[in-house]
Amino acid sequence: MALTLTCPICGERNGYEFRYGGEEKGPRPEEDGLTPEKWVEYVHMNECKAGVQEEWWFHRDGCGSWFKTFRDTTTNLEQKQEG
Amino acid sequence: MTTRFNNLPTLKVDAGEKVPFTYKGKKFYGAKGDTIATALYANGIRIYARSLKYHRPRGFYSMDGECSNTMMEVDGVPNVRTETTYLKPNMVIKEQNVKGSADKDMMGFMDKMDWAMPAGFYYDVMHKPAKIWPIAQKQIRKAAGIGALSPDYIMPGKYDEIYPNCEICVIGGGPAGMTAALAAAESGKRVILMEVRPWLGGNFEYRSAKYADGMSYNERAVQLAKEVEACENIRVFLSTANVGVYNNNLVTGFQIGEEKDVFTERYVEIRANSVVVATGCIERPLLFDNNERPGVMQAGTALRMATTYGLLPGKRAVFSIGHDLGLEAAVTLFDLGMKIEMLADIREDGQDPELEKAIQARGITLLKGWVAATANGRKQVQSVTMTTVDGTVSRDIECDLLVASAGFTPLTGPLVVNQAKLKYDSHTNFFLPTDIPERMYAAGRLLGYEDGASIEASGRVAGYEAIGDAAKADAAKKALSELPGPARGCKLINAPVKGRKSFICFDEDTTIKNVKQSIDKGFDVPELIKRFSGAGLGPGQFGIPGHNLPLYTAKYQAQPEVKIRPTTVRPPLVPTNLATYAGTNHNMFKITPIDDLQKKDGGIFRNIGVWQRARYFSNDLTCKAEIENVRENVGMLDGSTLGKFRIHGPDAEKALQRVYISDMSKCKDGRVKYTAMCNDDGCVIDDGVVIKNGENDYYFTTSTGRAGQTVEWIRYHTRYDGWDFSIVNLTDSMGVINLSGPNARKVLEKVTDTDVSNEGFGFSEYKEFSIGGIPVRAMRLGFVGELSYEFHVPSSYMKSLWLMLWEAGKEFNIMNFGVEAQNVLRMEKCHIILGQETEQRTNLLDAGLGFLWARKLSEWKKVGAVALRQAEGDESRLTLVGFKMENKHRAPRDGALIVDDKVRGYIATARDSFALGEAVGMALVEKHMSKVGTRLSIFEDECNGNLIYGKVVPMPFYDPEGKRMKM
Repeated sequence: MALTLTCPICGERNGYEFRYGGEEKGPRPEEDGLTPEKWVEYVHMNECKAGVQEEWWFHRDGCGSWFKTFRDTTTNLEQKQEG
Repeated sequence: MTTRFNNLPTLKVDAGEKVPFTYKGKKFYGAKGDTIATALYANGIRIYARSLKYHRPRGFYSMDGECSNTMMEVDGVPNVRTETTYLKPNMVIKEQNVKGSADKDMMGFMDKMDWAMPAGFYYDVMHKPAKIWPIAQKQIRKAAGIGALSPDYIMPGKYDEIYPNCEICVIGGGPAGMTAALAAAESGKRVILMEVRPWLGGNFEYRSAKYADGMSYNERAVQLAKEVEACENIRVFLSTANVGVYNNNLVTGFQIGEEKDVFTERYVEIRANSVVVATGCIERPLLFDNNERPGVMQAGTALRMATTYGLLPGKRAVFSIGHDLGLEAAVTLFDLGMKIEMLADIREDGQDPELEKAIQARGITLLKGWVAATANGRKQVQSVTMTTVDGTVSRDIECDLLVASAGFTPLTGPLVVNQAKLKYDSHTNFFLPTDIPERMYAAGRLLGYEDGASIEASGRVAGYEAIGDAAKADAAKKALSELPGPARGCKLINAPVKGRKSFICFDEDTTIKNVKQSIDKGFDVPELIKRFSGAGLGPGQFGIPGHNLPLYTAKYQAQPEVKIRPTTVRPPLVPTNLATYAGTNHNMFKITPIDDLQKKDGGIFRNIGVWQRARYFSNDLTCKAEIENVRENVGMLDGSTLGKFRIHGPDAEKALQRVYISDMSKCKDGRVKYTAMCNDDGCVIDDGVVIKNGENDYYFTTSTGRAGQTVEWIRYHTRYDGWDFSIVNLTDSMGVINLSGPNARKVLEKVTDTDVSNEGFGFSEYKEFSIGGIPVRAMRLGFVGELSYEFHVPSSYMKSLWLMLWEAGKEFNIMNFGVEAQNVLRMEKCHIILGQETEQRTNLLDAGLGFLWARKLSEWKKVGAVALRQAEGDESRLTLVGFKMENKHRAPRDGALIVDDKVRGYIATARDSFALGEAVGMALVEKHMSKVGTRLSIFEDECNGNLIYGKVVPMPFYDPEGKRMKM
């Protein structure tokens, strides 16, 4: 409810315009020597943090870009990071 | 019809313009600007409804929908709050919850049965033994309740939604709201002002009393409204009730459309930086016996009925009030010609001296410390027993109107639903908001201000605070501190009576006696009393019992008020129509560029994903004629729904390597490459063809259902790489024609000079040429298993190309074929359709597409490759097989289960094939059952244990060498 997100291209917009893309987990791991456990960890396991987490969003009804932002999962408010 | 005032500056009705309506089958007239309730009042109607439980007569009591007294059925819609709904020509109005009529209700005897129905009686009595409850419930439902909705009723009208955003949202368009909006707007920021009434002005609007020298409250309201309207950065939403406020200042409302609007009602969702709540007050009912008898009315209701609607609510009135607005109402109504039999103020002192003077000058006797004890009269008030507050002296006075009001109740709903707390304040006798959330501010009467200048000043403070202008806010605060502060509230809750017929909640027929019964049973806090006695559970929510219930609870338990918390308020703050939440029911879909041709040719259409497509071309749902014509002659299919994309830029190939499972560097000029996309679990999500147009410039197709997500998908899986490429979705700008059948080449040769022989344009090749001047991208594919051409052309050329091919094909007996015919044709060839031969868990290998996988290219980190490597050789997975039926023409239904002692798989697609002369299909089965010759027992829904049987056979069924599509 009441989510507002800041798209780096379009600015602050209604949360309904975006699609959630999961927690920030870093780039895809190298495939050599990758165990099934590590792969599942990367693809499916989430921290589900109660607090500020970095996550991906897609501006579906806008410019069509993927971007990262910080959101407090307890208040559903986007956190502006300094610097 | 009663005569109306026609020369008051506060009037909102035009008595000269008559509006016809039907009430109980008879024709009546109201005036333009009337609410339904005022129009009925003007026609002498006094009893509007019967109450929920006791079937007591109910009349015009409040004006802002605080109770269900005036709820009626309007144009087939039950529970319409007629006191807030405006009259429209030819409305059909009926009473509800009556046997007979509201005036003579056969259920009226219920009122005398109250001794048999104590609070929560149905919990106590009707559960022993348990089996009587279903019977009792049925009877209670018949006897009690409000309106009933016919199950087949369809709500007419247009329902819309709007999602504006702003820096400051002000809820409430009264004096405080308007000054807050004006103060905030000084900064140039965008302000939204939301007002539930169709006009601005709040409690100033209807008052003709003196606001300042030479100006009435009404004139001041008009002045402020003009300023607001002139202010460019204030957007006003009138007739918009606030319904909820959520975290991060999301404000929702429901707006009633005016005649000129395109919507009947619309949902308004406002995202605001800050919110100012200036919702003002409603009146706190005075508790005395028969306090809801028709003829009893709130002070504001009586006043507004006269000043706004031009109707004198009664001829001879008794006033029992506890605030200055009540005194002001008496003076105003006296001046309009009402006889005031008695003016009783509960307060012993503290009255506005100027008002006292005005009362004296009119010769009205003001009795302080007096209160109404009982309203007498069977169906309407005929006299009132007045008493001193201590109950020692009493007197009966004849009248036809009793104006009764104990004090005010602040409308803190918007603050409370956004998690503000309420705390009892003994000076104002209000529950005042504390712990107000960030960037939310309260102003005006809801804080207890009654002085006009103070109300406006508090609005100004909130307005400046909302824009974060500390200097201006401080100055405004200083100005406010020099004006009169919050007024002292009247503390009396109930008259000195026992309270058997003193109603604390009108909607649920809860009396003081019921509250006492609940407390005596151990339900000792308002929240529990509310549940047990029903007080506050009705459509008016907190409107009537909101303040009185907690205050009375404290009093009865001999507790200090400060400990008592009011009951929780939840959204929606006002009753709302589900139709408005549902919005307009668009049957929305996309149509292909030759939709009209397909319709003309007798196509039977079905919605498939976001599209509407021709599924059949005759009423024979097996599509025999269409199928056989493709197999024997030539057919044409509109394939425009296919997803079509261009990807180009320096890193375009890299992006394709990531998302496609094949080695995309092997795309060759002039060739069509079939490949698939997997997700990170290796499950196949899309298949299509890729054509290389140049270095790092590709054209590719996706299945119809995936077109919407493809750009997002590719961008997601390349988001860390910083690759430079562009993707263009051409799905809607390109159309596709599929020309298939042994005669396809003959048709094509007639319309183009290009060499389209098997040598010049072979299977799996791509060619660009022109057909009658139309540039086409042509592919030789074999989805349906015959010689087949697929033409991709700009949508605008689709119709011309189609007609050209149609004309050329006539001599070869060209025919349409639809999606179902294509489905059967490709099934006979065992060409899969994702989502039909696969489901969410089916990976590339299960679907038999393992040959597409370029397994050595781990440097591209292909999406799905890791999981496929891990799933390889897993014997527990389902795998795709072909099967034939033992009973040759009995094809199982799609989705039927394959069983032995357990479920072992399911049928993907199966049809009785005309080409093969028997029933064949594909199924997903456990790997150990995938060997050719395995017997499959198939369970269909409702088969009553009669299984049918098939056996696994090699794929494909039709033309296994693939000669026909390569000819």
